Amino acid sequence: MDFFNDIYQRVLGFFRHTEQENSKDAARNRLRVVLMQDRTNLNPALLERMREDLVVLLTKYLEMDKDALVLDLEQDGDQVALILSIPVIRAKDEEEIKKQERAKKRKIKVAAATVDGTPKRKRKSTKKAAAAES
Amino acid sequence: MTGRVIVITSGKGGVGKTTSNANIGTALAKSGKKVVMIDTDLGLRNLDLLLGLENRIVYTIVDVVEERCKLKQALVKDKKNPNLCLLAAAQTRDKTAITDEQLKDICKKLQKDFDYVLIDCPAGIEQGFQNAIAGASEAIVVTTPEMSAVRDADRIIGLLEAKEEIESYKLLINRVRPKLIKANEMMSVEDVVEILSAELIGIIPEDTGIVSSTNKGEPIVNDEKSLAGKAFHNVAKRISGDNVPFLDLEQETSVLTKVKKLVKTVVDKVRKESK
Repeated sequence: MDFFNDIYQRVLGFFRHTEQENSKDAARNRLRVVLMQDRTNLNPALLERMREDLVVLLTKYLEMDKDALVLDLEQDGDQVALILSIPVIRAKDEEEIKKQERAKKRKIKVAAATVDGTPKRKRKSTKKAAAAES
Repeated sequence: MTGRVIVITSGKGGVGKTTSNANIGTALAKSGKKVVMIDTDLGLRNLDLLLGLENRIVYTIVDVVEERCKLKQALVKDKKNPNLCLLAAAQTRDKTAITDEQLKDICKKLQKDFDYVLIDCPAGIEQGFQNAIAGASEAIVVTTPEMSAVRDADRIIGLLEAKEEIESYKLLINRVRPKLIKANEMMSVEDVVEILSAELIGIIPEDTGIVSSTNKGEPIVNDEKSLAGKAFHNVAKRISGDNVPFLDLEQETSVLTKVKKLVKTVVDKVRKESK
């Protein structure tokens, strides 16, 4: 019985193997990422801070899915590139942008009201933006 | 004459720096070049063991620096090859016993009498590493197809690039296992070269013969049947400027090739006997 079980597991393993990432690819991909961080001194925490700041900056001009904004390092030949991927819903028009700026000047916390429905986060980013300006 | 000063380094320990040093040095000496190897791993010396010279060391590099002997007195000649010499590390001292300037000075002096000065670098990136690379103008970075070794090699390459005196560096990939690579369970040589974007000087297969060669104090390049030995000979040839193609390890280690080799040796024997 053990013998058949063994064969069954092997056959199963064979098919599973083709689906899963093999350990060589895992090593290569993990190594790529860690080397980019080593070379540039850009660690994940710093990337996340940059990402958050960029969200604040970009929401001034764009209506977008904030959580889907991805900031990542990518190897480009000998150099490391910082890739920013922003899923845009639409650009804001001039009037909206002006309105936002006026609102910000008055320090009213409604700056991003047209963009985001999550008040907690909104308040946080408005504060940050205000702090950056002053 | 002015010989070439080459440092053999890796960052990570245990990837085969000292083994590579012993074999490349011996291979170069066998090809008729005058070679001196300097063990700079003060406190953790091992190059003497790999060469089987541990009982012949009277003076070390620290004795030279502290002027207890002349440089020539401290050079230990290899048992088989008079072209090959070793300047051993001190076992009872640490990395601070010599400075980078002192090592530079020793390299300069040895360059006059030898075609090649090979420096065996300690693991790490601290003082010992800085000393070892001080006198060198070329470097060989030893790594294996493992993540930690490649990461450390990348760090070393960064440090070598920042060092003006190092004119060129090349990659030696050690302990390559063709079967694992074929099964997609180990990074291939191409993967490592691509990730580190460095020029390759050699591919050494994992070879169980290395263990017994170390046990005997006899570099594996002296074993003509060994595939790793052959690969090290090729490295030596490439260092001397010959354009030798890289071994196809997958083919060399395949069952078919082994059978072919066996048949060939049997046929050769039969022929000899019939004559």
